[in-house]
Amino acid sequence: MLLEVRELQVEFRTRDGVAHAVNGVSYAVDAGETLAVLGESGSGKSVTAQAVMGIFDMPPGRITGGQIFFQGRDLLKLREEERRRIRGAGMAMIFQDALSALNPVLSVGDQLGEMFVVHRGMSKKDARARAVELMERVRIPAAAQRVRDYPHQFSGGMRQRIMIAMALALEPALVIADEPTTALDVTVQAQVMDLLAELQREYRMGLILITHDLGVVADVADRIAVMYAGKIVESAPVRDIYKAPAHPYTRGLLDSIPRLDQKGQELYAIKGLPPNLLDIPPGCSFHPRCPMAQDVCRTDEPALQEVSDVRGSACHFWRECLHDRDH
Amino acid sequence: MPEQPHEPEGAIAGTGMGATMDLGASEAATLERTPAGPRGTGPAGKPRSLWSDAWRDLRRNPVFLLSALVIVFLVLISLWPSAIASGSPLQCDLARAQDGAGPGAPFGYDGQGCNVYTRTVYGARASVTVGVLATLGVAVTGSVLGALAGYFGGVWDSVLSRITDIFFAIPVLLGGLVLLSVVTSNTVWPVIGFMVLLGWPQVSRIARGSVITVKQNDYVQAARALGASDSRILLRHIAPNAVAPVIVVSTIALGTYIALEATLSYLGVGLKPPSVSWGIDISAASPYVRNAPHALLWPSGALAVTVLAFIMLGDAVRDALDPKLR
Amino acid sequence: MTATTEPILEVDGLVKHYPLTQGILFKKQIGAVKAVDGVDFTLYKGETLGIVGESGCGKSTVAKMLCHLERPTAGVIRFKGEDITRLSGRALKAVRRNIQMVFQDPYTSLNPRMTVGDIVGEPYEIHPEVAPKGDRRRRVQELLDVVGLNPEYISRYPHQFSGGQRQRIGIARGLALRPEVIVADEPVSALDVSVQAQVINLLDRLQSEFDLSYVFIAHDLSIVRHISDRVGVMYLGRIVETGRDAEIYDHPTHPYTQALLSAVPVPDPEARDHRERIILTGDVPSPTDIPSGCRFRTRCWKAQERCVREVPALAVPDVFRAVSGPAAHDSACHFAEERQVVPAEGEHGNGPG
Repeated sequence: MLLEVRELQVEFRTRDGVAHAVNGVSYAVDAGETLAVLGESGSGKSVTAQAVMGIFDMPPGRITGGQIFFQGRDLLKLREEERRRIRGAGMAMIFQDALSALNPVLSVGDQLGEMFVVHRGMSKKDARARAVELMERVRIPAAAQRVRDYPHQFSGGMRQRIMIAMALALEPALVIADEPTTALDVTVQAQVMDLLAELQREYRMGLILITHDLGVVADVADRIAVMYAGKIVESAPVRDIYKAPAHPYTRGLLDSIPRLDQKGQELYAIKGLPPNLLDIPPGCSFHPRCPMAQDVCRTDEPALQEVSDVRGSACHFWRECLHDRDH
Repeated sequence: MPEQPHEPEGAIAGTGMGATMDLGASEAATLERTPAGPRGTGPAGKPRSLWSDAWRDLRRNPVFLLSALVIVFLVLISLWPSAIASGSPLQCDLARAQDGAGPGAPFGYDGQGCNVYTRTVYGARASVTVGVLATLGVAVTGSVLGALAGYFGGVWDSVLSRITDIFFAIPVLLGGLVLLSVVTSNTVWPVIGFMVLLGWPQVSRIARGSVITVKQNDYVQAARALGASDSRILLRHIAPNAVAPVIVVSTIALGTYIALEATLSYLGVGLKPPSVSWGIDISAASPYVRNAPHALLWPSGALAVTVLAFIMLGDAVRDALDPKLR
Repeated sequence: MTATTEPILEVDGLVKHYPLTQGILFKKQIGAVKAVDGVDFTLYKGETLGIVGESGCGKSTVAKMLCHLERPTAGVIRFKGEDITRLSGRALKAVRRNIQMVFQDPYTSLNPRMTVGDIVGEPYEIHPEVAPKGDRRRRVQELLDVVGLNPEYISRYPHQFSGGQRQRIGIARGLALRPEVIVADEPVSALDVSVQAQVINLLDRLQSEFDLSYVFIAHDLSIVRHISDRVGVMYLGRIVETGRDAEIYDHPTHPYTQALLSAVPVPDPEARDHRERIILTGDVPSPTDIPSGCRFRTRCWKAQERCVREVPALAVPDVFRAVSGPAAHDSACHFAEERQVVPAEGEHGNGPG
């Protein structure tokens, strides 16, 4: 396994109390594999990724338990200096908002080249040449001329390409993309996702794609982990989950996508509100919104149970969910 | 010393909040904007406004408590100086000139034989009056002009911006020496007027920027779409959301106005005797500083503590109202 | 809700140019951002007109002009036949009662210093003739109930609610004056997936309950299709194709619409290998410098000499004029042809449900 997260727990101290952002998350990514982490805001999907990268602020954040194995080493036991060496060269991150993730006062060529100067000890001139190569690689037209331009001179789609170029510069084994196309328009989104998938195949990287968009997941992911209230509620190969979800939350998400044959009817909607991380419901955290909830769901927290050897569901009634196709 | 009217109540209620670490809005934002149901109802089940949030922050801030204590004390003695100082600050006896501490005069006597303790206590009134009134004048003038310019924009905005540029170019002390030296009045009003004249551009610039930021919020658009009048939008929607930076800047400026009053009085263009002011006393005491240092130390100490208290209060208010500035 | 043929809102040649100026005191115009550059449409009573397009296409500016938040540079907006474009004062205030807006971001569209009761009740303070003073609190509570919020929340502040609940508060405010038209600008795009469906259902229910006509602006094509009777596709300040929802989605004839539809990710992993996708090259041109002729030609794979010279009109293209069928709808392309880019209904049936 390239990356293995085991029972990770993260909390944040806020003025209103302790927010339990991640409550025992485990997932694994192999080289060349795309894992989609699907969840809504507050599900802990981004916080988990930030913990893997080691980039969230502590305090107020705090990792209270778990391990993160990357290429066999537990990242949480490494010194900050060693982790810094892994960031960039071993794993890299692509952010949602490229404009704020790029430094506005440095030209894109300098920012791309800096990676080679810092990590590879290249001369400025060689680094600049590599920067142009990378920009061509992510298909930025007239790269040799544009290498001196500043981030604000590029369009949103081009900036996201530059972010991808930066992430891939040192050919990391793992790339984490946090909502990489959410801020982009549909037509540009398709360009960027295609590029990312192509580069991933070429370099055989592991890719963690963090998103809330079920369409994007279906297009590119191999496996999918669905998060709710800081936990993984379902994990499965992507085809299985779309065919027959084994958790009522996943099923609710899939059912609330507008479909052609439902036009003019009411959309299926998950009732209620996303959970308050300061006050997560006891038992199964989804029970107040779940159409299948029984008494046991209010008291006993379901573990991630094995549905088959490749998929798991954290629902007491996953069998019923899997077979009951109409509700 | 009389009890402060509201402080203890706040301090007691504050302990009921639990000892969680405070977290600024910016840090909380990293938490993927935690959605939640109706929450944050206070312990009494009452919904909190953002102002009461700020108040909750303030009363747990030791810097605020300390500075508020000093300021409440200053306000009280400037209202009723006779409560703690007997006699008149103008009752001087040359025979006692430069004497040290004695009965009824714990701080000793100055070069004119006046009671330093009495004069220091009475001097607070000038400082507090000038500071508070100048700040009010500056805040009101500056925020009204700035808000109108920011809200309506256009030609008036351009004109106002150029005028503030001109005022920023005037050196304060030189301006004070020139303008105030022609005034013969012996009240605080010329000094206050001068401070408002030179101070409003700073506040108007802050208010203008703040109004422009708030103006872009959708709730202002929503009010406009409902057909709300300009005055309604300004007063109901923009002012309450734009006022925080103005309050912060004004509170911090209050301390500097007090220092400026003392400076102008020291230079002889601010308040003039027989008015009582720390600046006048410092000026009068400086020639005798070798023989009677106490006559200089007490009024300058009082001035320093007062200015510091207001600046600390400003800092605390800023922290409470705008955690992002921290 | 069945749509009628009685027009409630007619938009004719709507233009909004923002001048670009230079200089400090004496401003000189050096160009213009052509945000909206000639838009025509009609909204019929009781129907929902969806407007889709990518960021910068001018759809939000159209919404603002409909609600009198921006003054059009040119063009006419008619409400029930009356030109309301240049109204002011009392006449404008009266018209405003009838056209209300629902905003995109529930976090900035509610005044954080006001309680829910004040926010939803403010329309009555501005238009006191609608509800007598003593009756307002009851009306506000009724509105909260209508949008699915607990009427007891009347004295809470916006920050005590989640995004979806805030959007409901915004909708309640929009309904207070009993408007006939609601302009919704991306009303669900800031919300979580599981909450989006709730708000869409609410809007749907309110439409029949209060006899509303909607202009529904969004970039999410599947949501627009679900709620709209007719759809207009905008590109760079103009509507390039418009028709009934099935005409646009199943029989698009404009290449931009085809590319847009084909780019939407389909939540079905089985479809990923045999889906035809049109990946457009390049970016949307700047609205300060709109291409001559057809504004889409710089990204169009079909562009020819004629597209540079001649602006295509928004009308039924010549090739389809003779036939009657779903392909015969307005499309601003010289070389319009039908192309199915979204899997047909039958193939699409393997979703859950």
